[in-house]
Amino acid sequence: MDNVKDRKILIVDDEPEIRAMVERFLRREGFYRIHTAGDCASALSLCRSVRPDMAILDVMLPDGDGFSLLSAIRQFSDMPVLFLTARGEDEDRLLGLGLGADDYMVKPFLPRELVLRLTAILKRVYSSPVEKRLVAFRLGDVLVDLDSAVVRGPRGEQALTAKEHALLAKLHQERNRIVTSDALCQAVWGDDSYGYENTLMVHIRRIREKIEPDPSNPVHLLTVRGLGYKLLVKETG
Amino acid sequence: MDGMIRILRRYVAGAILLSILLLLFNFILLGTLVFKEFRRQPSPEGVVREVAERLTREGGRYALGDEAARLLRRHRAWAMLLGEDGGVKWGERLPDDVPRTYRLTDVAKFSRYYLAEYPVYIWEHADGLVIVGFPKNSYGKYQFNWAADWVRSAPWRLLVLLLLNAAVALLLSIIMGLRLVRSIRPLVTGVHKLAREEPVRLDTRGLLGDVAGSINTASAILQEKTAALKARDEARSNWIAGISHDIRTPLSMILGYASELEESPEIPEEHRRQAGIIRRQGEKLRSLVRDLNLVSMLEYDMQPLHLERVRLPSLARQAAADMLNGGPDERYAIELRLADEEALINGDKKLLLRAIGNLLQNSVNHNPEGCRIAIETFLSEDRTLCRLVVRDDGRGIPREQLAELTELPYSSKRKQPPRHGHGLGLPMVARIAKAHHGRLLLDSPDGGGLTAAMEFPAEGA
Repeated sequence: MDNVKDRKILIVDDEPEIRAMVERFLRREGFYRIHTAGDCASALSLCRSVRPDMAILDVMLPDGDGFSLLSAIRQFSDMPVLFLTARGEDEDRLLGLGLGADDYMVKPFLPRELVLRLTAILKRVYSSPVEKRLVAFRLGDVLVDLDSAVVRGPRGEQALTAKEHALLAKLHQERNRIVTSDALCQAVWGDDSYGYENTLMVHIRRIREKIEPDPSNPVHLLTVRGLGYKLLVKETG
Repeated sequence: MDGMIRILRRYVAGAILLSILLLLFNFILLGTLVFKEFRRQPSPEGVVREVAERLTREGGRYALGDEAARLLRRHRAWAMLLGEDGGVKWGERLPDDVPRTYRLTDVAKFSRYYLAEYPVYIWEHADGLVIVGFPKNSYGKYQFNWAADWVRSAPWRLLVLLLLNAAVALLLSIIMGLRLVRSIRPLVTGVHKLAREEPVRLDTRGLLGDVAGSINTASAILQEKTAALKARDEARSNWIAGISHDIRTPLSMILGYASELEESPEIPEEHRRQAGIIRRQGEKLRSLVRDLNLVSMLEYDMQPLHLERVRLPSLARQAAADMLNGGPDERYAIELRLADEEALINGDKKLLLRAIGNLLQNSVNHNPEGCRIAIETFLSEDRTLCRLVVRDDGRGIPREQLAELTELPYSSKRKQPPRHGHGLGLPMVARIAKAHHGRLLLDSPDGGGLTAAMEFPAEGA
């Protein structure tokens, strides 16, 4: 069961064509244990009988909405759920409800987006404990291990402080993208963190001293003047 | 309530002014109408004086001048000269019922009052006393006697009298004003409620009952129309939401299969390119549907706002980062000029980011050959307004077209069809600004380029 493609997927949508299309995309990507349902009742009975590992739920169903279906499923299962919605205003409800949906997509969507998000959720939820612990990444000669909060490199092993760890975690989560200094401050000091910019610069300098070969000329943790910072990470495999 | 006090104040002032005017008017009338006839000319004293002066003694006889005799005749009066001994020495037109001799007590009596019911007047003469009698009942003679104290205090008494009058006038005007205010007050509150579109039900009895009835009717009509309008707006918005929902499912299929064909290695290159065109057009439709729904919700005030304290410079950085993260393009240079870090507003972060994103996208769409884009944020000098400005140095837009850019495409106010994209971008920005009690100002200076400024009320820091 290490391969995510072996997972059982349940697709619930009242449009048979959408069901057929999503099923087709998933099969093309290598998923083969796919079940489909057109309404809440059959979806619930499928959940009980085949015990799927993940569900893709439409919000609008003929005998109820996806939100109440999820509440019913949550009575006996903790499987991850990705919502598909055809109404823009459902976005707000999804965010506001805190239903424990893992992700949502607004129709129309591109098949690639759907498969990417689905596999991301499956990997996150079902990856083996050994794999899961390894939230670590390589920056040149340096290995940043966020789980044990250390940096290993030519200069030996150096511990990360709590703030440095939080900053690196945020930068890594948004790797290869510009993260504004506001977003970084908020990630570390919480809401209304206005005025921490100078402190932020101090922490960034300390991080650079640990990860950069030459902290004065950074190549991994770059400054985007006036905006924020960007962590360049080469994706491996 | 303020209005009521104003009415009362004006009413009282009016009453006081009115009573003062009335008092003056009465004084004038008293002078001209009443006291004009008080004394006839010449006065009885004038007649008796004339007679006394014209009565001369020639030899042993007295003679009255012709003019004085005519005067007596005209007044139908008689005259006599009383000697020191109390006997009548001379008489003119003397009636029979007038005695011919007098004692001292008689003289004392008639000098003050009447002589045999004739009002008489006396004047001193070298040979005694001239007495002129006027016809009975032609004059009244009254005696006035005043205590000296009373005369001295008269001005004060007069003043007290006036003050008491003023007090009574004031009291009466306040009472009447209050009564008026009490009858008007429900009407005034009714009209105020009408202005706030609240339902009004007034008592239609009393003096102003018909006015109250009209206000009730106006309220009922207004409520009805508001409800109808709201129902229509809701219906329209729901209709658009429904249509966009119905478009999303088939569009999912178009996008899905088109992109599958585009990536399929089994079909010829040419067909894959065509599938790519279908996919890209589908994505355009997707963005149209998404924007259409949001614009319609904003237009009909149905978009929920998740308000929080937002710093505009922070938003500007986020929007710039989003644009750069979306894939940097060499043709567009982005620059930030953030003056006041504490430019705070109360706003919906997601919607505001969408608005800034639309403005940036607008600059990109209008200038395919590239341009420099600047985002500026600052507080107005009195710190009551926050502005976020997106400025480009591109081609700009003719001034006369600026106004209609914020109108919805194909609405009656918009003459030109949208030229770039679906034309919902700027209308959406204008509506997001409006939902935040702000506005969108567009300008295209002569030097070229477009300046789009969103202005919001500042949130007290």
